[in-house]
Amino acid sequence: MKRVLTVTLAMTFAVATAMAVTATTADAPGATPTRSEVSEATRPSQAHAQDVPYFEACAREGLNESECAGRLIWFKATAGNERFHTYVFQQRVGVLIDWFRVLRADERGDRFKAWGAINDPGCCTPGSPNCPAKSLDETYGLDWCPGDEELLKYVGQSGYRDPACDFRDAPLKPEEIHGPVDQRQSACDLKFGTSSGALGIRKFPNPRFDRAAWEKLNGRLGSWEGYNRRIASSTGSGEADRSHLQDGAIEPPFLIGTACGSCHIAFDPLNPPADPAHPKWENIKGLVGNQYTRISEIMVSGMPSNTLEWQMFAHARPGTSDTSAIPTDQINNPGTINALINTAQRPTFDGEQVIKWRKTRSCEGTSDETQCWCEPGRDNKCWKRGLATETVHHILKGGEDSIGDLEAIQRVYFNIGSCSEQCWMNHLSDLRQLDPAQRGFGQTPFNIGQCRRDCPNFRAIEDRLSNIFDFFLSAEGHATDLRAAREKQLRSITTTVNYSEQDLITDLEHEFGAGAVNRGRELFAQTCARCHSSQPDAAGNPNADFMTVSATSGLREDWMGNDKPTPASEVGTFRCRALHSNHMSGHIWAEYGSETLRAQPPDPNIREPGDGGRGHYRNISLLNVWAHAPFMHNNAIGPELCGNPANKANDFYGQRPRYVDGSNIRLLPRDQQPACFQYDPSVSGRFELFKRSMDALLNPAKRIPKVTLLNEDVTMRIGPKLWDGTDREKLLGFQLTIPHEIDGRGVTAGTLGNFQHKEFVVDLVRAKTEPKALAPDLEKRFGAETGKKVLADLKAIVGEVTKPNGLVDALKARPYLVKQVYSACTAEIENEGHRFGEDLSDADKKALTAFLATL
Amino acid sequence: MRTLTLATCCTAVALLLACGKADVKAPEIPFAPHGSSYAEKPDFAQLEYQHPLSVEDLYKITPKNLSKLDQELVDQIYARLSAGPIPDGPYEGDLFFPHGESGKLRLSEIAGGGLKGLLVNVAGKKLDLIGEILWKGKVFFRNERVLRNRIEDLSILKKAGLIKEEPDNPLNKIEVDGDDQWLLFPAKLYCGQSLLDSRRESIIIDYAFTDEIPGYHEMPDKMAGRDGFAVRDEIRMIRPGLYLGRAYIDRAFVVNFVLYNEEHDKAGKAAFMKTGAVQEDCWSGTQQRRTIVAKAG
Repeated sequence: MKRVLTVTLAMTFAVATAMAVTATTADAPGATPTRSEVSEATRPSQAHAQDVPYFEACAREGLNESECAGRLIWFKATAGNERFHTYVFQQRVGVLIDWFRVLRADERGDRFKAWGAINDPGCCTPGSPNCPAKSLDETYGLDWCPGDEELLKYVGQSGYRDPACDFRDAPLKPEEIHGPVDQRQSACDLKFGTSSGALGIRKFPNPRFDRAAWEKLNGRLGSWEGYNRRIASSTGSGEADRSHLQDGAIEPPFLIGTACGSCHIAFDPLNPPADPAHPKWENIKGLVGNQYTRISEIMVSGMPSNTLEWQMFAHARPGTSDTSAIPTDQINNPGTINALINTAQRPTFDGEQVIKWRKTRSCEGTSDETQCWCEPGRDNKCWKRGLATETVHHILKGGEDSIGDLEAIQRVYFNIGSCSEQCWMNHLSDLRQLDPAQRGFGQTPFNIGQCRRDCPNFRAIEDRLSNIFDFFLSAEGHATDLRAAREKQLRSITTTVNYSEQDLITDLEHEFGAGAVNRGRELFAQTCARCHSSQPDAAGNPNADFMTVSATSGLREDWMGNDKPTPASEVGTFRCRALHSNHMSGHIWAEYGSETLRAQPPDPNIREPGDGGRGHYRNISLLNVWAHAPFMHNNAIGPELCGNPANKANDFYGQRPRYVDGSNIRLLPRDQQPACFQYDPSVSGRFELFKRSMDALLNPAKRIPKVTLLNEDVTMRIGPKLWDGTDREKLLGFQLTIPHEIDGRGVTAGTLGNFQHKEFVVDLVRAKTEPKALAPDLEKRFGAETGKKVLADLKAIVGEVTKPNGLVDALKARPYLVKQVYSACTAEIENEGHRFGEDLSDADKKALTAFLATL
Repeated sequence: MRTLTLATCCTAVALLLACGKADVKAPEIPFAPHGSSYAEKPDFAQLEYQHPLSVEDLYKITPKNLSKLDQELVDQIYARLSAGPIPDGPYEGDLFFPHGESGKLRLSEIAGGGLKGLLVNVAGKKLDLIGEILWKGKVFFRNERVLRNRIEDLSILKKAGLIKEEPDNPLNKIEVDGDDQWLLFPAKLYCGQSLLDSRRESIIIDYAFTDEIPGYHEMPDKMAGRDGFAVRDEIRMIRPGLYLGRAYIDRAFVVNFVLYNEEHDKAGKAAFMKTGAVQEDCWSGTQQRRTIVAKAG
């Protein structure tokens, strides 16, 4: 039943102001507002019912107006990427997302286990008790969520007014250069829509939706059966199944967008849900990072598993994402979603050379809009581009985002698809473009100035970046220590109980041995602090104190990481992520990398190119490491996580176990695969996972090698398929099948994603057209001996490719070309390296584990 | 057998009428400088911002003089167009090869892109045949969001064994200037992503699900479909009655083409010269499209 309420609720901001909220709501589960006294002076706002729990969270966390505004944007703003996730990714990139498979309301209870997605507490399955929607047909098969009483009216119609239009901005800051008049881009361009049922994934009514066509295709409004049904290829030949997901003529009922929260919203380690499938609002935090998300599988949920795209994307572990998979650098490198905690204490770096746009009030004296630009229709809202020395954070695994905090946040919006059409799709590499003379052969740099000018969603976010950063600095981004988590657990039984730091130490020493925590601190200072402490003098100092609280921020003084780059070979961990190249000059995110970053010398001990500042890992923070296992940038050290969903079609770990025989990189038999660790966000579950991951970390000899293998042969078409329609429908295309085993040795999924097929094709053509010129080039790139061998093989292949399956057979006979010579990263074992501490005694390993649990 | 009678204003002659003196040399319209490598091509957003086309410029373009430009300049024109209205009715069409390329209809070679020289004779004849048919005359059924290709001479297809007559599903036929033409290769029409320029949508002519369109004949229609060559075309409007197209096979660009309807050209000229604006059926992006209206309307 829908009803409209006028509600006031208290909002106890940290600044101690109370403000009124007038809400339009429906009696959805978890969205029941309360009434309380409010200040007349701060009564101006209209809030959507769907925002009510967000304001309650701001009050609970003690956020001020700016922080709260930033939080709402972080959780909800898609900045226009609903077109990316509905049209662009599918049609331009050629990758299909089956949103119904992910969001179907009848599998709401299985969603977390399958996809790691966190259910929105405000939504419900149609037909369930108290749910305003009574049937799946009313919601087109998805959850009913607050705001849908309005949104659903506009499916198939234009005129929807986005709830973001009612977003209440925080006051402009006194130091705002573009102030004091508020000239921010319309909040409508933040584009909130309503929840899809999974936090961070938002939906919008599709005005192009054709109800009759949908019913004809699917049988009923609440089904997507005809839309996502697999259609077998009639050609056979191992061709992938098709579906109407690739049919641009079919318009789905919703456009689906994602907010930053789609990856960063997580369960609060201090207050985990009793049932992860049915969390409450107080179990949710926005900056911890979702350790369970299978965002990569979500992004290829409409692709058959024998496609290049599935094999390239769907190999990330839960809680990791390859952020350069869409703006592809053809280097497979999934990385964890960092916990954005204690940011106020995070190290900064002085004296870095940064070219970027900076706010100014005038462009007087220059007419070059590529260097200075004022927004038309505004007064003195200008930006000027130039080089300056700055103090910046190092963000991303290799510190690649290095021109400023706000710009790093800004770039996240491009990772999630915002402004894709206006600003960056034209700059991507098209995997099918093989002609170096044509656009799309390689990346070209994204242009921040152009995007600001042409994409209103960019401006809507840019004008509020300081609010988002304030949210990062807010209490919600404070560390969640084990002590506090245990205290909260105890207080759920006895409200007055205290659990002190000493209580924690006592309990840890009961488990890890007498004096373990202090011994662990000493060991940490001796062996770990050189990288994992932000105190300049902690390393080797037996008296180093890692617990001191900052008088300024009230946070632990030490960020427990120095954020400095360490050569990948020194850490020894899986190096592909360190080779990430999107911030190099001429590449897509060049404008987000500092000159200092790019001048960083390469790691001399790795075989792949390390130019442009590549080849390093940032020394990360160990704050709350008790809650963030497994370890390393790829979550590979520690147990493998799994959700064990009821729908086995979505059991991605079950379909892709990782443990291999190190001698031949072949999967161990099922009965020798260690059991996976089922998702458990409880305090005890996190702690258990931490201990087991520490055991793997400190005992490298005990680690069973992990490799993400191709789990079936995959065909990669190079150039279009050429089909002889009368020859029994046989495909004669120029294609490459990568077998899942070569010479009895497993082939990694990364082999495919790392294969530099364009470079290979260009060389192949040159081997035919200009072999003499190619010869010295190959020798320069690969060394004299290898260069000669490669040339000889390329010449031989030229003679073989025109035969049916010629290339397949030619490369099968020469696997080194794919696996080594033309590979961007040849690393195989994903859980190797970081052997620091392996020589410690068992007692010291326990001590170190005990100490780390206190961070 | 169903027989349609279409207006006869659009024939191959009409395409020629769209041409004239202006065809001898490349159209004199602004372009951005470019180099030979992909990295030396101008960004389309900046191109349009700095070198907008005027309505007069658009009327300098003819179906023939486009072939005097190299591919990069054809691309620079395409990127500065918008989708315009989804066409309705018959259009003459032809593919064209940009300046500097062979001009021979050898799609089997062109389709290879960077693989030129390595793929000749691989399934070539059938592909070349398709090329001779698909990007010629078309009929748009705007309200049904369907397009069908007009085939003047079935004998080529028959000779190649690509026509399968089905008594219970006869070939559709129309009459043009007293001659029969057959309607084959049906495709879906929709607004969708351009594979060249993402900044605004194009009109997509998609053969992937050709088998779901009324009047589908497995042979030869299947050859253009998802299990065949997987043909997907995209078009944008140069001016009313004239569209510039890009044809893709399995997502790889193969050839440019134009579509022309003389009647629409004449009927729409006065208003377009005055305003430079037309009905936009597709998403036209958020970058302001700068089309400078002609001084003499």
